[in-house]
Amino acid sequence: MSDVALSVRNLKTFFYTNQRCNKAVNGVSFDIKKGKTLCVVGESGCGKSVTAAAIMQLLPRLSRIEEGSITYHSERGDIHIEKLERNGKPMRSIRGAEISMIFQDPMTALNPVFTIGFQIAENLRYHTKLRGHLLAAKVVDLLRTMGIPLPERRINEYPHQFSGGMRQRAMIAMAMACNPKILIADEPTTALDVTIQAQIFELMTVLKQEHGTAIMLITHDMGVVAELADDVAVMYMGNIVEAGTVEDVLRRPVHPYTRALLASMPVLGRGRGQNIEAIPGSTPDPFDRPKGCQFAPRCPYKIDACEQMPAETHTTPTHRVMCWRYEEFAANAT
Amino acid sequence: MLTYIIRRLLIIVPMAIGISFLIFLALDLSPGDAVTRMLNPMQSVDPDRIEELRRALGLDAPMIVRYWIWLSNVLQGNFGRTLTGGVPITRTLLERLPATLELSAVALLLSSIFGAILGTISALKRGTATDNALTVAGMIGVSIPEFFFGLVAIVIFALNLQWLPVGGRLLPSYTSYWDHIPNLLMPALVLSIMMTAGVMRYARSAMLDALSREFIKTARSKGLPEWRVNLLHGFRVALTPVIVLIGFRLPMLIGGSVIIEQVFQWPGIGQWFVMAVRAKDLPVVMTVALLTVVLVLVVSLVIDILTAIIDPRVRLGGE
Repeated sequence: MSDVALSVRNLKTFFYTNQRCNKAVNGVSFDIKKGKTLCVVGESGCGKSVTAAAIMQLLPRLSRIEEGSITYHSERGDIHIEKLERNGKPMRSIRGAEISMIFQDPMTALNPVFTIGFQIAENLRYHTKLRGHLLAAKVVDLLRTMGIPLPERRINEYPHQFSGGMRQRAMIAMAMACNPKILIADEPTTALDVTIQAQIFELMTVLKQEHGTAIMLITHDMGVVAELADDVAVMYMGNIVEAGTVEDVLRRPVHPYTRALLASMPVLGRGRGQNIEAIPGSTPDPFDRPKGCQFAPRCPYKIDACEQMPAETHTTPTHRVMCWRYEEFAANAT
Repeated sequence: MLTYIIRRLLIIVPMAIGISFLIFLALDLSPGDAVTRMLNPMQSVDPDRIEELRRALGLDAPMIVRYWIWLSNVLQGNFGRTLTGGVPITRTLLERLPATLELSAVALLLSSIFGAILGTISALKRGTATDNALTVAGMIGVSIPEFFFGLVAIVIFALNLQWLPVGGRLLPSYTSYWDHIPNLLMPALVLSIMMTAGVMRYARSAMLDALSREFIKTARSKGLPEWRVNLLHGFRVALTPVIVLIGFRLPMLIGGSVIIEQVFQWPGIGQWFVMAVRAKDLPVVMTVALLTVVLVLVVSLVIDILTAIIDPRVRLGGE
């Protein structure tokens, strides 16, 4: 248990709008391990970001954690995050210091009217005793570590004077300022160029190795998963349909949805003629969900049993899946 | 930035001249002139005598020539004399301008502070009874004309309760400046009602907009306390559009005080302007109009400079 930084068990997070309930996250369980990267993959709206927001207690007003537990295994003992008040002091002292987050779009995630230096220093000011020139020196140091040239000058600049990649570096500097145990990255490179994306991931890998930070990386890009992940969780409509080590999930996928995701990815070197299979149909309306297995209406292997929600089953100690026909699929795994 | 300010200041001169020409033209096209006002309507006057008078006053010259004479005098600081009474306009202006500025400044200050605070509260408590009550109050404040508020206030506070004087500004019995605060209170509050409501509605939506941005989530994710998230990260961003709005209301305060000065017998520019228009006292009308035009132009420059100071994304002069 000691290598697990955070464990989520049977987490349910619901949204309420116009007296209707969207079960955005409907019973997910996973562990984030120290010094490892967990990639959470899935289509837009599958509940990836909501899971991250639940861990940070940053859910929007009309949503709440209904059930389940989020346990942060801190040095002071286990902390049940789901029981903490949203903006209460205990939660705030964890946020930004021990668990921090970087967001999708660095253009909007930084406040336009404050300097980069001020925004990074703010984090340190609230969680450490650093003040004055020691604080300023630490900020410069952080920016230098993140590979920003001339950090002494750049701390006095505003976000609009930074390029997209530089802004994301500044965001990472902000998130890493207090040496957090867990870093949650919500599609951190979606808004960036591919070349910048590679640099950002390289930076995250270095941080993981040097500080032993546990990383939860939310993405919809299977290529990113293949490159960075130690563990993978595939989400579909609020459930983790398949999870395991990166070997398990990418080499021996069991769930039809995971297989469909992998089949829909073009592979370099196979040329133009390759068969890219789109997943038929579209994601159901979250307010009008199918009964039982959420993927059943789009699944080519649907049987009558799919009217009921399948249970989570382990095919190997590290690999689990939610599918009635997992035995057949596991047997013919390539 | 300095060159930008100087350039903008230089542009104000031709703009003010252009607008003053249009006002002069409009007044010239309206029926009657100074001489028809000077005559006693009860007596019949020889038409030759009128023509003579016109010629003596230079009114027979073409409009362009008369405008040129007026303009060259104004540029030398000579605004002429009032037609009703023959008092130098500059003297009356200097007497009346402090009264209007005092009233406007107090009203502007009150409405900016209350508007911003109430709007922020409204945004932070959105959807609650407080927010709804403030919204209704804001709608009432915006839609009911201020002279009505003024008359109601006079009836309640001056006539029934007898707490405050009905009107006027400086009475001979006053020995110190502070004695006239009761006189100032009611007109300033009434004048600020409509603007407070406007600023409040605007501050609320600017604040809601700022709070819905991603950087608010970033601020929370840093573990900052709520007051700092809302007031520092939220309000600081919402401030820019609110400052712009308040700035553009400045000239409107002079306009708004025309009515309020009438209602409360406040001896300011607005009251003088109304009297001058009724008496067709063209030199006075031209002077006040020119003053308002210059004020609007200067204010818009000040707003541009202010926005550049408070919002780092705005850089003046295309650097």
